[in-house]
Amino acid sequence: MDVTLGIDVGVDQHEPRRVVEVFERFATANGVSDLVVQRFCLALDEILTNVISYGFEKVPEEPRIRVDFGLGDDGLKVRIEDNGRSFNPLADAPLPDFTLPVDERPIGGLGIHLAKNLVHDISYRRDKKRNCLTLTQPL
Amino acid sequence: MKVTASQSGDAVIAAVSGRVDSVNATSFEQELSKAMEGGSSRLVVDCGELSYISSAGLRILLLAVKKTRAQGGGVALCQVQDHVREVLEVSGFTRIMTVRDTVEQAIDSF
Repeated sequence: MDVTLGIDVGVDQHEPRRVVEVFERFATANGVSDLVVQRFCLALDEILTNVISYGFEKVPEEPRIRVDFGLGDDGLKVRIEDNGRSFNPLADAPLPDFTLPVDERPIGGLGIHLAKNLVHDISYRRDKKRNCLTLTQPL
Repeated sequence: MKVTASQSGDAVIAAVSGRVDSVNATSFEQELSKAMEGGSSRLVVDCGELSYISSAGLRILLLAVKKTRAQGGGVALCQVQDHVREVLEVSGFTRIMTVRDTVEQAIDSF
């Protein structure tokens, strides 16, 4: 049977931490392994931090961010929706260059890379002026 | 997040506990700077009690590497928990930072 939980998220910088804590309780209570919980917490944190920090620059609409967690036969699913500017992190975020020596490494740009590489599958679609990112993990 | 600093020879050992994320990354940076105030350029970050680090915290570690290397020193991490180690590996940090099992090995790496 599917278990779901949805929360509305504000644009305060402390929100990613709150959402991560809610997710952690939800996933742990439903038997998700510690490793998967840790990976999803980080991905969720990085994605939300990004949306809150940059997603609503020069966007006239009232910010709306919604996160839904789901657990069912097809595994764990986390959906992050926002009405910020169109941004596909899978295509629009620059890839970090790991061959650069320390002195030339840019400070930053790692968050989306981490999210993409720690979660089994991430998909993006732009729908009705909303970014919709879905993170999935078969269990 | 809490940073407890101590000195061993000419290395500073900063033991970090708890979570480092975008909310407290600035405090983490300030704590590390405070720990290095004595003028040492060799920093051991003891991650034994570090339960979580996001890219905001990694940025501070990268800054510390840049700063200490410019002064002829460096940063060595030790006692890193498995999921933190995975984050370091995926972000390419294990290539630019020394990671050792124990505090002693980290001190000896300089």
